[in-house]
Amino acid sequence: MLCQICKKREATIHFTNVVGSDVQKIHLCKYCAEEKGFDYLKKSNIEKSDLLSGLIDSSLGKGTGSKKQDSCGNCGMKYSAFKKNGVLGCSQCYDIFRKHLHPLLRSIHGNTRHTGKVPPRYIREVSGKRKVISLREELEKVIEEENYERAAEIRDEIKALEEGKEAGRDAE
Amino acid sequence: MQSNFEKLIGTPAEWLVNGEQSGDIVLSSRVRLARNLEGKKFTHSSTSKNLKEIRDAVKDAVLDTDYLKKALPIDMDDISESERMVLAERRLISQEMVMHYKDRSLVASEDEQLGVMINEEDHMRLYAIGAGLMLEDVGRILSSLDDQVSGRLNYAFSPRFGYLTACPTNVGTGMRVSSLLHLPGLVHNNDIRKVVDGMRHVRLSVRGTYGEGSEVIGNFFQISNSITLGLSEEETIRNMEGQIGKVVEFEKRARDKLIKEARTLLEDKVSRSLGILRSARLIDSKEAMKLLSDVRMGVGMGLISEVKMNVLNELLITIQPMHLQMTNLEVLDPEQRDIARADHLRSVLK
Repeated sequence: MLCQICKKREATIHFTNVVGSDVQKIHLCKYCAEEKGFDYLKKSNIEKSDLLSGLIDSSLGKGTGSKKQDSCGNCGMKYSAFKKNGVLGCSQCYDIFRKHLHPLLRSIHGNTRHTGKVPPRYIREVSGKRKVISLREELEKVIEEENYERAAEIRDEIKALEEGKEAGRDAE
Repeated sequence: MQSNFEKLIGTPAEWLVNGEQSGDIVLSSRVRLARNLEGKKFTHSSTSKNLKEIRDAVKDAVLDTDYLKKALPIDMDDISESERMVLAERRLISQEMVMHYKDRSLVASEDEQLGVMINEEDHMRLYAIGAGLMLEDVGRILSSLDDQVSGRLNYAFSPRFGYLTACPTNVGTGMRVSSLLHLPGLVHNNDIRKVVDGMRHVRLSVRGTYGEGSEVIGNFFQISNSITLGLSEEETIRNMEGQIGKVVEFEKRARDKLIKEARTLLEDKVSRSLGILRSARLIDSKEAMKLLSDVRMGVGMGLISEVKMNVLNELLITIQPMHLQMTNLEVLDPEQRDIARADHLRSVLK
């Protein structure tokens, strides 16, 4: 369909104007729409991927430039494409590119571990893991304080939790 | 019969018209959650066939929840570009979805308080909006909607990284919390720079009203969190409420000082601004926003009583180009639009 103003270029913007029971369809090309001032919502913002790719480059640091091109077996996404666009291809990319993502996530969020909400299916697994992490932190602290009695208790708790998890997994 | 689009835009947004008391300095509180379906490629690497399947599954699930039972589903491929632009002007869809509309949908409640964008950057962007500073309430409602959806669909989740999103800037909680603030006092006394820097220091971002990359018009600022990994949802919201509370305090102090030092000057300014809005025959959107900002401040400070805050709030939306275009059969050029804007302002503020 041709633009109804210049009648030359392909119309890419289509308006439907409704006043009462009258309906008018209008078809414009990009240039004429811009001329009429309707491009303001379509002006590209500072591309998020530009900002992100700066971060991606800087967080990769020196010496990590691996020779082999990593790509995701599930969706085919190449790491170089992610660097360019700032979006991953599928949830498995998070596993495949884990090593690349750790420093990146640290520079974006200052952290690499989720501590928020958990979907129902994951609650048991995650709460066990979170418990172990907090016990390990406590362990470090009590060892520093030379409270070896408490340290032994914590070690047993961690062991029990980890074995419980194994048992839980076997049962599934 | 009325289409879902007509129904949706035929009702004013609750967060705009309900803001008579609370919606003075803080206009709105918005929370959104990014979610993806397990085992499905992210939107931009999916085929059209897969996107349609995702869209159907998400629509079924969200329309089955208590919250969105009566919501209005709109497929972006079924409406025109101008209609999509109207939805974007009302912040119901992103600017991104105006351009990339194929296999995308919106499901929104008629009062515009709850919505789900389907197949945007992520398979689902669930959002909730309320008037004034009420991030905790808005967050709580959205979280229970999310619980109901998660009982019907399996989300892509990793115990380590949290909710998996297409862009790593959203991974973790997938939550973006934002508030729209009107800060003419701080702009006037030049403290706004300090506030913006202070916000950045606590890793909150400050932008113009349309989010990413947009300029500040009419002294409206959008403050949002930038971290989604390592903080819980509750911590994020509490932190934001605290920081925004401080900004509101600063703005109030700036306004108090203004009124103490230059009451007559201020009364003169806000009354003149209202006068121009009531009598102009030609007005561009920047000038209109600036004047509405003055009048809003005047109403907020009790200097003007004949105009209601909710009327001004609604004008912020309806003076935008596509909202003005919507009621005209011919394509308006910028000058004709400035005339239509002036007509609209006069008729609303008379």
